[in-house]
Amino acid sequence: MTEKMGFMPGCSLPSYTPEGVKKTMEYLKQIYPDLGGVQKCCGKGTKALGQEEKFKERFAGLQKDIDDVGIETMIVACQNCYKTIKETSDHTDVESLWTLLPKIGLPEEVRGKAKDSDVVFGIHDSCSTRYEKEIQDGIRWIMSELGYRVEETEHSRENARCCGFGGMIVPANPDLATRVMQRRADDFESDHVVVYCAACRSSMMKVGKKAFHILDLLWGPVVYDDAPAPEDVLSSPAKSWINRYKSKNAVKQVVKA
Amino acid sequence: MEFKKNVLEQASHITDGCMGHEDAFCTAACPMHTDVKKYIAQIGKGDYEGALKTIREKLFLPNTLGRICAHPCETDCRRNSEFGQPLSVAGLKRFAAERADRKELWEDSVGEPTGKRVAVIGAGPAGAQAAIDLRKAGHEVVIYDKLHVVGGMMRVGIPEYRLPREVIDFEYSYLVDLGVEFKMGIEIGKDVTFSQLREDYDSVIVANGAHKGTIPPVPGKDAEGVFNAVDYLKDISLTHKFPKAGKKIAVIGGGDVAMDCARSSWRIGAEEVLLISLEELESLPASQEEIDESQEEDVQFINGWGTDEILKNKAGKVKGLRLKKVLSVFDENGRFAPEFSEETQEVKIDTVVFATGQQVEDITDGQLEQKGGGRYVTDPDTLATNLPDVFAAGDASGGAIVVQAMALGRKAAASADRFMKEKDLAEGRNFKLEYSFETRLDVPLPKGTENLPRTSGNHRSAKERKRDFKAFDLGYTDEQAQKEASRCLQCECKLCMTECLMMNDYGECPQDIFGEFLEKGEIDPIIPYSCNMCGGCTHVCPNDFKIGETFMGMRKDFILHNDGKSPMEGHKAIEMHQKLGFSKIFCTKVKGVR
Repeated sequence: MTEKMGFMPGCSLPSYTPEGVKKTMEYLKQIYPDLGGVQKCCGKGTKALGQEEKFKERFAGLQKDIDDVGIETMIVACQNCYKTIKETSDHTDVESLWTLLPKIGLPEEVRGKAKDSDVVFGIHDSCSTRYEKEIQDGIRWIMSELGYRVEETEHSRENARCCGFGGMIVPANPDLATRVMQRRADDFESDHVVVYCAACRSSMMKVGKKAFHILDLLWGPVVYDDAPAPEDVLSSPAKSWINRYKSKNAVKQVVKA
Repeated sequence: MEFKKNVLEQASHITDGCMGHEDAFCTAACPMHTDVKKYIAQIGKGDYEGALKTIREKLFLPNTLGRICAHPCETDCRRNSEFGQPLSVAGLKRFAAERADRKELWEDSVGEPTGKRVAVIGAGPAGAQAAIDLRKAGHEVVIYDKLHVVGGMMRVGIPEYRLPREVIDFEYSYLVDLGVEFKMGIEIGKDVTFSQLREDYDSVIVANGAHKGTIPPVPGKDAEGVFNAVDYLKDISLTHKFPKAGKKIAVIGGGDVAMDCARSSWRIGAEEVLLISLEELESLPASQEEIDESQEEDVQFINGWGTDEILKNKAGKVKGLRLKKVLSVFDENGRFAPEFSEETQEVKIDTVVFATGQQVEDITDGQLEQKGGGRYVTDPDTLATNLPDVFAAGDASGGAIVVQAMALGRKAAASADRFMKEKDLAEGRNFKLEYSFETRLDVPLPKGTENLPRTSGNHRSAKERKRDFKAFDLGYTDEQAQKEASRCLQCECKLCMTECLMMNDYGECPQDIFGEFLEKGEIDPIIPYSCNMCGGCTHVCPNDFKIGETFMGMRKDFILHNDGKSPMEGHKAIEMHQKLGFSKIFCTKVKGVR
């Protein structure tokens, strides 16, 4: 790859796991020593409210940041960032971390680490990338490389159902949002669900699923049936913003290391 | 507030094309639009009374139709078009009637008296339906029939082993309950003139049926022992006998009437019954059930042959038929124009019954114009004739089967009602809904649909049944009916409604939500702001309607009309969240270096 690569954690992921952001970037840095980094919102939330003009303005700000640091291909770990950049930017390429990892491989030390786990994960695909088969394949490849067993449901892949968080409905119609979350949770037989969006994780946690972000599984300890899922950090604004701040520093540190 | 043109256009595109309220194939095909799906589901749940009530919303003779309806609903049933195994809709209808019908359930209220009087000529299904509707509208109704029994062709055309007469009488007692008056055994044109009737009544419905049998112009047709199907079936219906018939009977024709004649022949003591048709077996116009049941009863089919000559003995009696081989029945334009080869064969018989068409006899002394088959000339939408107070229905105006006759009776009644109220006959009427129509429903088969065979009923053995007039079909048992009902695919679209929780809070389908938006020109912002934008609706929509995108368009318009802010109170937090997400405290950009 000759293009200048960069990583952008987005919003919900850095608010959830600065550790996950840091470890991901460290690994990417091994592969792409001149990896750049940008932490900013892609503006999806603004767009979802219908604020067209404000979105244009905000995305232009993000684009400027990307250009300022010379990133030609932006690696993202958030499906909304992926879609927003793909649909909006006229010159920055975007690559999902979930399609990149199968190409560059996982670090030796994590491969097969979970082969003794007794957990079967339901896979919650993100509805915003329901037609991105390569991303969905990538998630399944990662799970298999790690050694986890997974369960497909009727509502996998392009038939994915919303986690309840989409479209900014949580603050607009909270009762409905809870029903949507519950319905999605009921799609899975397994108590354990793997997600690849931190907001989806929070939704599933709210209705009692043991939800893990795939980065938790990649970089964290092997998950066994009796282990609790990590805390639902996104439910606490204070903790979320502190994490976001920590993630920002992680981006700086790793790139400059 | 005003919405942008593109939003309105998207909304109307969805409203126009959404199939959420589109009728199922069965309901659209039924000229009376019986809610088939609903009553089949009710039978499936064991709610037989509910099912019966659903049927009775549209049909006053559920048991009769359950036995003899030519069921266009079954022809159009999705299980027929997909697998050739339609739901036994008629059989289930009969089942509901047998299990649950009783007079106490009949809705027998009538409208305020209008002071108007209507004469209905004919006590068949068209006349009866017209009488019911007019009586319900508050008019006085008198039915005239030249027969002494009610039912018209159902009584004297359809054999008793298919339709027991007590079923007709019971179901027709509804008309008496409503206060319809019957003048039986009175023939219009003979006992009372048509002109007199018009003078005595404010409006007249002509539904006298097609009771004139025909015999085609074949050599030898004047022989003794040649009959037409109408007279044959009528006499057998009324007396269980036809003394002039011999023992070896040939029925000419390939439709249901021919099958009825053939099967009736056994029941009056025939020793040999032939059915001779121009059409080959696989293209007979008769229903498959009637063909199968005739063959079970050993009717000998000679298909693809026409009558060349009726052979007679010295006494002038039928002794046989010379048949000629058919090359084709229809010409290249699809018109009936049989072509024959030189090949012939002879069959020995002593009786010939022609079931090759029947006509409407004029009872108006030429006051109404007639066309092919004696059918009166009518406006197809309103059934108005050249006389302003006279409307024609049923066979008399061109219906072919009982349930069509009923729909035409209803149509004629609606027109007569308007005429008597001095209202325009057409204004505000949706004529499409007054007869069979083609539904726009076009949906994939439900997930996991299997080709399940039709549940066969309980027919008496052919050997036993062919010698009496008792019902040959004993109807479904509870278990059989449940099993058959469970095959119903409950055809509908509403696929998005199974995916989307939110839309279910605001309507039955997108057509409701976007239709109301267009009608009112406004929408509660909670609706577009409750959309997850997940795309699940579009993913399953057979028309790929961009429902989320349309809600998004509305959101944009709300923002424009609200100083750039969301109208939702809860979104203030999101605004702050977004602001922070772009603030320097939480953002950074770092250039990578080797």
